[in-house]
Amino acid sequence: MSRRRGNSKRKRRPVLIPIASMGDIVFMLIIFFILASEFKHDRKLDLELTQSDQVKEPQFPIAARVAMDAQGLVYFNGDPVDSAKAVEYAVRAKVLNAQSDEQRRVEFTCDRFLRKDQFEPVLKAIAEGGGIIEAVAKEINND
Amino acid sequence: MFKHRKRQARKHRSGAIPTDAFADIAFLMIIYFLVATTLVKTKSITADLPTGQKQADAQIQETPTLTLREEAMYFNDNLVTIEGLNARLAALELADQQPEKRIILLEASDATTYDNYFHALAAISANGGVVALVEEEE
Repeated sequence: MSRRRGNSKRKRRPVLIPIASMGDIVFMLIIFFILASEFKHDRKLDLELTQSDQVKEPQFPIAARVAMDAQGLVYFNGDPVDSAKAVEYAVRAKVLNAQSDEQRRVEFTCDRFLRKDQFEPVLKAIAEGGGIIEAVAKEINND
Repeated sequence: MFKHRKRQARKHRSGAIPTDAFADIAFLMIIYFLVATTLVKTKSITADLPTGQKQADAQIQETPTLTLREEAMYFNDNLVTIEGLNARLAALELADQQPEKRIILLEASDATTYDNYFHALAAISANGGVVALVEEEE
């Protein structure tokens, strides 16, 4: 009995996990996350999105983000602004050096219950500033 | 104290860069990026609202007009549902028209909600139309 035990002990070999390349893999992952991640510019806003089956993922990068919350407050790239005119100037500054329509996309997020007299001046301001509106909505499937 | 420092200095005399903590730092960075990354993709419609000069009433009369009154939609003064609007816009074959013939006038009352307005914009954009906003003169 004691002999058997001794044999089984001899058979056990230390298991070596190759971790030499671990650092490289980890750095590759970091590079991937740095390139693939997009930081959320808008703070958590109090708004309810409209629902539509006609929305799709934007094909071009967004030059700026404009949002309106349930109270009608306007945000440009996550920072509150006090008027539609401020949005127009900010959009104009952002798309000033745009060489094509693809570089003039402005994401517009708005609470679904806001009234026209609240949101339309902002829509007009984006258009006056030279932006092409990407109106955000929640996707619904009719399947 | 002094001896300890001497010993430490001797240890690093080889010139080797201490890389033992690299993997730990890298893992911390991965955790940071995993937490800070947003994986939610927003979806949207594209609405081009060209800015320009005001048109004369005669020209406006020939242009299809979509009127929003709170929850109701009127296309050329006929009450329509969103499906009916899509059908009427599709019949105009706007995508194949000249740019000036692709314009749809959008007129809305102040009480119109963004929800209703969005669906009108989406229908016009999906059918290849260009939205022109109608302003009431003060």
